[in-house]
Amino acid sequence: MTDARAPEDSVAFVYSPELSSWALSPDHPFKPIRLELVKDLLHSTGLLAADEVHPPRPLRPGDLARVHDQEYLQMVERVSRGESADEAFHFGLGTSDTPIFRGMHEAISLVCAASATAVDLVLDGQVRRAASFAGGLHHAMPAHASGFCVYDDLAIAILRATDRGLRVAYLDLDAHHGDGVQHAFYESDQVLTISLHESGRYLFPGTGHSYELGAGAGRGWSVNIPLEPFTEDDSYLATFDEVVPRALRAFSPDLIVLQAGADAHRADPLADLALTVAGMRGAYDRVAALADELCDGRLVITGGGGYAAYDVVPRAWAQAWAAMTGRTLPESLPKAWRERWGARLAVRLPTSPVDEPDDRPQPHRLRIQNHNMAVARRLLQVLEPIWREARTPTGRDRAPRKEETT
Amino acid sequence: MLVREIMTRPVVAIGPDEPIGDVIALMEQRRLRHFPVVDDGRLVGIVSDRDLRTVGSEHPKARPDVRRRDAVRAIMTESVWTAHPLDPIDEAAAVLRRQTIGAMPVVDGDDLIGIVTASDFLDALVRMTGVGRSSTRLEVELPNRPGALAGLLTHVASRGANVASVLTTRSDPEAVVFVLRVGTIDGRSLAHALREAGYEVAWPPADAARETARTA
Repeated sequence: MTDARAPEDSVAFVYSPELSSWALSPDHPFKPIRLELVKDLLHSTGLLAADEVHPPRPLRPGDLARVHDQEYLQMVERVSRGESADEAFHFGLGTSDTPIFRGMHEAISLVCAASATAVDLVLDGQVRRAASFAGGLHHAMPAHASGFCVYDDLAIAILRATDRGLRVAYLDLDAHHGDGVQHAFYESDQVLTISLHESGRYLFPGTGHSYELGAGAGRGWSVNIPLEPFTEDDSYLATFDEVVPRALRAFSPDLIVLQAGADAHRADPLADLALTVAGMRGAYDRVAALADELCDGRLVITGGGGYAAYDVVPRAWAQAWAAMTGRTLPESLPKAWRERWGARLAVRLPTSPVDEPDDRPQPHRLRIQNHNMAVARRLLQVLEPIWREARTPTGRDRAPRKEETT
Repeated sequence: MLVREIMTRPVVAIGPDEPIGDVIALMEQRRLRHFPVVDDGRLVGIVSDRDLRTVGSEHPKARPDVRRRDAVRAIMTESVWTAHPLDPIDEAAAVLRRQTIGAMPVVDGDDLIGIVTASDFLDALVRMTGVGRSSTRLEVELPNRPGALAGLLTHVASRGANVASVLTTRSDPEAVVFVLRVGTIDGRSLAHALREAGYEVAWPPADAARETARTA
């Protein structure tokens, strides 16, 4: 940490037009244009000032190679130039999920740069909190693309902090398991990864079982909470409250990185959780409060999944921004914003920043609640003794808690 | 899948004259539960963790005359079920269950080349279900007739999605339920396309959310 301490209400929104001007394929469900809708919504509601928008700083040489294999990077660059390669398929490229497009290396490198910049702005003491909603590509693996993700911007950004000797808590609220980031730090005790997601029994990528605890020095610092399909707000937040604060307090991070994938919403076409925007906001508020309690407010938020790209994602991320800045969204979303984007995208955008009540019956509500809570309690039973041991002086070696430099 | 693909090797074997106490120490140190007993290069018995642990205990099956310093020969089971490396694993698993034993030495001719235990079968099951590779569960009920699975797989392939594994979970005269793990994050679109083509897709669920989002 630097000596500079950013004012409490100082925030950054990392943005450049190139972050939204790419697409994996014309009709691909992953829509980078979401970034423009969020940014414009925040400007039109007065929640984002022009001088809070920061462009991504270029990646440093070697940033990508710390997370990805050389052979894979060369393959992405090759197909990105338009050269065809039969072997690309073995790297997860040219699949239905991750089609190849011209300039993909540059486009996704810039996403990585944006998330790394968000972390740097916070650690340099320029701002207390930063958002990189273009980022959140949590499925990318060292040697293959997966689940719409080519490069792991989150791991690259987190390394910026661990390189300074800081401890990072990574919290993944995407409906899908954060497998790429977990993999990158599975054996590290400098990074706690927590993922709440729809159970891999039902949903891609199939991992994220509660028994995935981390290994070696990292044992106990990978936390997975697989949730039942059709989990609603109350059960989601109750499960969150059971595990997340305990894990974060046991770890005591210097920085929290939140992957705020918005596909846990009930309207998302790619997953089966049943949250409303209000429930997601509840989670964001909790994360902001935990950052205040544990790491002097330092928080970086990224995007991620979110395939109800127009109806849900702008509201979800505006709520995330509101939670991290302490600013208030209006009761209804600006008409001009709705009309501008509604006409451009030929969709009808919602008026309320939350959701209409859903009175569809949920016959399995109680069973789902009980199951989720049982998963959480069983997990704590395993984890809490491991955390206790890590805290005691006789436990394994552990970096001493860094003193605040205020 | 064959026994040689899932067996544990190298196998830790012991001689018949080793003291029981030493074998117990070996068991704790290596965290193993079954030891083939080999005499003169020939398999002559097997000893399990239960055989070893009951020595000198109050256990009803413990033999009062046997002490820890005695040779393991005294407690080993001489009648040993063995597996051949080329046995199909389903057949080997059936032997394990029918004989209610926990492990079988794998013998090729006179050579002891490995051991196959219940844990090896569980590992194989986990591998076969494809979990661990990034994939989406797809559960489809197909009519029980030739070519039904081939038709399904053709549909999946036409969408550029790779199949990580195929399991049959129920089979009756009319229908067979298949669980596939498919290498795509967008299982809902795939399920939608299959339903349009007349398939009975049990998972992922029909996409009510997408319909409401479209009409909102």
